[in-house]
Amino acid sequence: MDDLQFRRSIYADPNTTDSDVASAKNDDPSKLKFAQEIEQLDQKIFNALNVDVPEGLTEKLILRQSLASHQQQKRKSSIKLALAASVAFAVGLTVNQLQFSHAYNSVGDYAIAHTTHEAQYFTNDGEAKVTLASLNKKMASFNGSFSEEMGELMMADFCRFDGMKSLHLVFRGKSAPVNIFIVPDSEHLAFSKKFAKGELNGVVNDFKNSHIIVVGDKQEPLKQWQQKINDNVRWST
Amino acid sequence: MATKQVRYEALVKALHGDLFRYAYWLCHEKQVAEDLVQETFLRAWRALDSLKDEKAAKSWLITILRRENARRFERKRFEMSEYEEAAITDNHSISNEQEIENHWLREKIAQMPEEYKEPLVLQVIGGFSGEEIAGLLSLNKNTVMTRLFRARNQLKEALDDEPTMRGQYNG
Repeated sequence: MDDLQFRRSIYADPNTTDSDVASAKNDDPSKLKFAQEIEQLDQKIFNALNVDVPEGLTEKLILRQSLASHQQQKRKSSIKLALAASVAFAVGLTVNQLQFSHAYNSVGDYAIAHTTHEAQYFTNDGEAKVTLASLNKKMASFNGSFSEEMGELMMADFCRFDGMKSLHLVFRGKSAPVNIFIVPDSEHLAFSKKFAKGELNGVVNDFKNSHIIVVGDKQEPLKQWQQKINDNVRWST
Repeated sequence: MATKQVRYEALVKALHGDLFRYAYWLCHEKQVAEDLVQETFLRAWRALDSLKDEKAAKSWLITILRRENARRFERKRFEMSEYEEAAITDNHSISNEQEIENHWLREKIAQMPEEYKEPLVLQVIGGFSGEEIAGLLSLNKNTVMTRLFRARNQLKEALDDEPTMRGQYNG
């Protein structure tokens, strides 16, 4: 190894473990001396480069990281919470929608559906067993009463009329029972005056806080029923 | 999470000194160097899962720090100023010859061109081999060895030329 090559190697890396450099050092005392000189130089360079590290830098670095990851966790958990909350909210909405939603938006549709659904329980020749007194007892919850009997009342009971508490009366009709519903006023149902579907016709009487709906088949004189009701019903408010 | 924390703290403890010194010789300002190191470790924390080989940790961190430093230059392009001697003077009272020599050498190193200084710092402080430095700086190994040779050569000449000046310098 020539001198220039040797010097270059030592300058480039005084701690080189290159075997050529090592053997050159062994063979030539002047090269060894040079190598030692540069090692000393390197020690000085190391001392110079080895500036003091600020006190507490380790702690600062760890602190900064834990603050950062804490914030990250907080963000993550608030996202989780928000997610959970929206899921709960959505579930709540859905359940609410399913349970309390109104399947019908016109009173006629509902009245006919209700009548059709319950038609099997009532026949026109059933016993007329409800008295005016017990009818009026029930009517009291609508703040109303009837002054006279309007016909042969076979059944009077509370029932759900599309989610609203209502009174369902079944009278004997000409050929089929006549269904009368007393329904509180409501915003979601359109109270049309008249409706019809298949064999059934219906009329609606509007009062201050309630509607009285009469449903009967086509042979039934609904007008007369309506008139009878108008003549008989009394509202206390 | 706990193991990640443990890994991170071990990294900080083992390597923050070398990283700070490297940063210091890149920017010559203690405060900036500290900020760089903080930024670097914060990024390292976020990306810690991508560090598979602990032996590569130091060069990984150095790479992050170099990128952070480059970012700093992008941000502060117009605030850049030439290196000023005042920036490097440390506030330690110079008590003995060793300190005087250190101080004097620091001045010389700071004045060295970046391309010589950076490999030298990586070699002497970082303990990286020629190949590793070549990898970090995207240079070939011969270039790195030449630069290391020139860097030491410059310092050697400076030391040989100016031994008598040293005492006066801080007089």
